[in-house]
Amino acid sequence: MAKKDFQVSRIRHFIEQSWLLITASFFFGLLIAVTNAGLSPRIEQNKINKRNRLVGALLPEAKNFVSLDTEIEIESLQGKKEKVEVYRAMSAADECVGWSFNAAGPGFADRIELVIAVDARFEKLAGFDVLSSNETPGFGDQIKYDYYRDQFKGAPAGALKLVSIGEPGTIDSQIVAISGATVSSEAVVEIVSNSVTQIKAQMQEKGIIGHVKQQ
Amino acid sequence: MSSSSDAKAAPYSQTLLAGLWRENPVFRLLLGMCPTLAVTAAVKPAFTMGCCVIFVLLCSNVIVSLMRNLLKPHLRILMFTLTIATFVTVADLFLKAFLPRMSETLGPYVPLIIVNCIIICRAEACASKNPLVVSIIDAVGMGVGFTLTLCVLAAVRELLATGKVFEVQLMPEAFVPWAAMSMPVGAFITLGLLLGLVNAATGKKA
Repeated sequence: MAKKDFQVSRIRHFIEQSWLLITASFFFGLLIAVTNAGLSPRIEQNKINKRNRLVGALLPEAKNFVSLDTEIEIESLQGKKEKVEVYRAMSAADECVGWSFNAAGPGFADRIELVIAVDARFEKLAGFDVLSSNETPGFGDQIKYDYYRDQFKGAPAGALKLVSIGEPGTIDSQIVAISGATVSSEAVVEIVSNSVTQIKAQMQEKGIIGHVKQQ
Repeated sequence: MSSSSDAKAAPYSQTLLAGLWRENPVFRLLLGMCPTLAVTAAVKPAFTMGCCVIFVLLCSNVIVSLMRNLLKPHLRILMFTLTIATFVTVADLFLKAFLPRMSETLGPYVPLIIVNCIIICRAEACASKNPLVVSIIDAVGMGVGFTLTLCVLAAVRELLATGKVFEVQLMPEAFVPWAAMSMPVGAFITLGLLLGLVNAATGKKA
């Protein structure tokens, strides 16, 4: 009996102490859930608009982006299997002018998320842009600068190699690192190489790229 | 009648002015240094950050003031943090939805408002001990004081780094921009100089 009373008093004490915290957590959680539900379509649309804007700059002929029905799954740099949404970039005349997809990997400070565009035959890169990154301002964030990004435009869509010395103006599979930001430069090269080679192989395997060649 | 309303009005105006100058969070209390240094490279992000802080400060002061008599002393910091985190998340979602580019510019500094000492300091020092009206006035005073300070700091940095303020060219064409002013070093130098000026103006000694 005494043990039961002790337990009841403990439960009562717990409720007395924490009821405000529990109630407040419930209502605050509800407020966040309602706000999120109300705003998430708009936030998602903003992301799509940004992506289309960035890819549109890389593939100027593209007027529309159509999601590929076939499922593409690649192994990320951390060894995880990840599904990739590949978009077919269509021109005003409804012809395929290229492909684009998102790819991500670890950077120097945080995860780097890129949008990558390749030509219709998946032979050359049309370039990349940074969707999100937290690289060091003045150093690592130079991955967003044209002089670094331009090295990827026209580079072969396959394995790329980072070099410390070279001519950034030469378009080939060698990418010249940003001085003082080798880790960020290497991260981008690895993300691009890893995603492009795997997606290309899978698309060839599934006959998707061959279909484009016939067009 | 009028003397009694004057007596009531005096503490309210004192509370409002305290945040603007006498207890200015940045220049006098040295609180909220992280956003002060991080987002003041230009006036627009500084102003947006200030508005977010006003919103969070106002909401958290209102909630804390309303539940001040229910707070358990040992759980109060937890309640403050929970309240602040909720409104910061709401502010962050609104920025992402309606000002996506500004949200990207401010980056992690919006979620970091959760650990901004000004807000938890006002919850502890004012809202948990005062009625609703005083807490609201205190939040407005402190929030506007913080925003104005951030904008002054950002205006000086943006002007010296780019020759412009709010994208309006103010410096003559011959002016050579000081790129360092838009970097962290510029933030430290400008804040240090402004703090020195404020101390000199108020006769405060180190």
